[in-house]
Amino acid sequence: MRRLVLALIVAALLLPAGAVARSQLTVYAAASLTDVFPKIDSFDRYSFGGSNQLAAQIQQGAPADVFASANTTLPNQLYAKGLCSKPVVFTRNTLVVVVPQANPAGIRTIYDLTRAGVKLVVAGPGVPVGSYTLQVLKNMNLSAAVQKNIVSQETDVREVLSKVALGEADAGFVYSTDARTVPGQVRTIKVPAWAQPKVQYGVCVVTASTHKADAQTFVKRLIAGAAQKKLIAAGFLPRVKKK
Amino acid sequence: MARRLLVVAYVAAAGIALVFLLLPIAAIFARTSPAHLLDQLSNPVVRDAFVISIKTTVIAQVLILVFGTPLAFLLASRRFRGRALAVTLVELPLVLPPAVAGIGLLAAFGRLGLLGSSLNAVGVTLPFTQTAVIVAVAYVASPLYIRQAVAAFEATDPNLAAASRTLGAGPARTFFRVILPLARGGLIAGLALSFARGLGEFGATIMFAGSLQKVTQTLPLAIYAEFAVNFNATLAMSGVLVLISIVLLAGLHLGLSWQRSDSTRSPFFFGPSSSA
Repeated sequence: MRRLVLALIVAALLLPAGAVARSQLTVYAAASLTDVFPKIDSFDRYSFGGSNQLAAQIQQGAPADVFASANTTLPNQLYAKGLCSKPVVFTRNTLVVVVPQANPAGIRTIYDLTRAGVKLVVAGPGVPVGSYTLQVLKNMNLSAAVQKNIVSQETDVREVLSKVALGEADAGFVYSTDARTVPGQVRTIKVPAWAQPKVQYGVCVVTASTHKADAQTFVKRLIAGAAQKKLIAAGFLPRVKKK
Repeated sequence: MARRLLVVAYVAAAGIALVFLLLPIAAIFARTSPAHLLDQLSNPVVRDAFVISIKTTVIAQVLILVFGTPLAFLLASRRFRGRALAVTLVELPLVLPPAVAGIGLLAAFGRLGLLGSSLNAVGVTLPFTQTAVIVAVAYVASPLYIRQAVAAFEATDPNLAAASRTLGAGPARTFFRVILPLARGGLIAGLALSFARGLGEFGATIMFAGSLQKVTQTLPLAIYAEFAVNFNATLAMSGVLVLISIVLLAGLHLGLSWQRSDSTRSPFFFGPSSSA
């Protein structure tokens, strides 16, 4: 019996020595990163949500170590207030329109979104994807015509996606990477390249973090090869635009 | 000495519990001055959410009253097989997590839902409409009224109803002139409770009705949405909800004290434990 206990203790001591000895981080990340972040790093804890909700929580003192936002505005605001380090862009994305697989409203192009009676779901204006949606509509000169069809402003991109995937809404604006997570449930309509907003994801280390060194390593690894490969495999764009 | 220590511990525990319950409420008002609160009330997001909340909750209460009262009376006055099961099922939405209620409403009344597809065929789509908010509020809040109404009806003295009948009053007259006045305190208490629950409804609403300013965005949904945008507005809205809740709580206690003085028995679920 004593030998068994001893063996267990030795095993317990050896196990973490084999892995990298570092503390588990709490990463606050944009909802659109829900599927890909655990693939990049399954060791840390994640809180996914609308980037603006997460930023507000960090301002209220939430115990986050890393903040990965779907824009650069929010982490820059935190940086200006001294609440996080200078943000770095770690990936980019594009916007698409999704419609339910059955496509009850018969939407083929973005211009169909102006038709009367179309139930369009978007994210709220404070959510990154919500403001990107407004930019797309403005770029395509569709703001007024489409805005009358908005039936709900959701709190993050995945809420938009699930309302479309459920078939409750006729269409919604999400990132192209979100559309890929529910194959067979939604159809994707591309937003033309000329109307695309500049979707850059910024990451920073939270000033109040008690694991700053590990958090910095997390950020460094995020912009390195292996993590970038996984992001690209999930449909994200390389962090620097190729000329 | 040991006894004295026990008394101190006892008082301290009670004090901690009291402070714990009051602190968050006090903190809301500590962080927002009355002037600031009034100032935020002119914020269109706050004002619209207030109007939507009051409107949907009042309509839901009317529906709960009209449909819930007959059900409560039936459950209170008739003994039939499966009554206990019926009572349990009526109470179920009360303990259901709001997110589950939201999924249930979508599965039932959503576009592809059980009833929703038939509704859709005749041109009625509930999700994302104000009607959907009313449905969600009525679903989660009605059990509180029905439960309290059942207790109120059961507490009325059956001899008075019997006397009314032997004196020649019909069942409808007996119900409206004898039973309803006897039970009114409990019914008012039930309405106050379900109104408060309806006003606070969040999870089922955001899933079933979505959130859109001026259409479906109630105060709790606006608090959630504004949290990330304008913390002062969320404080003001929270302050408004606290004040309304205090009024409702007063209504609840007033209703309960009426019921106690009006009837002989009072087996209440939500009544205060001490007889004041």
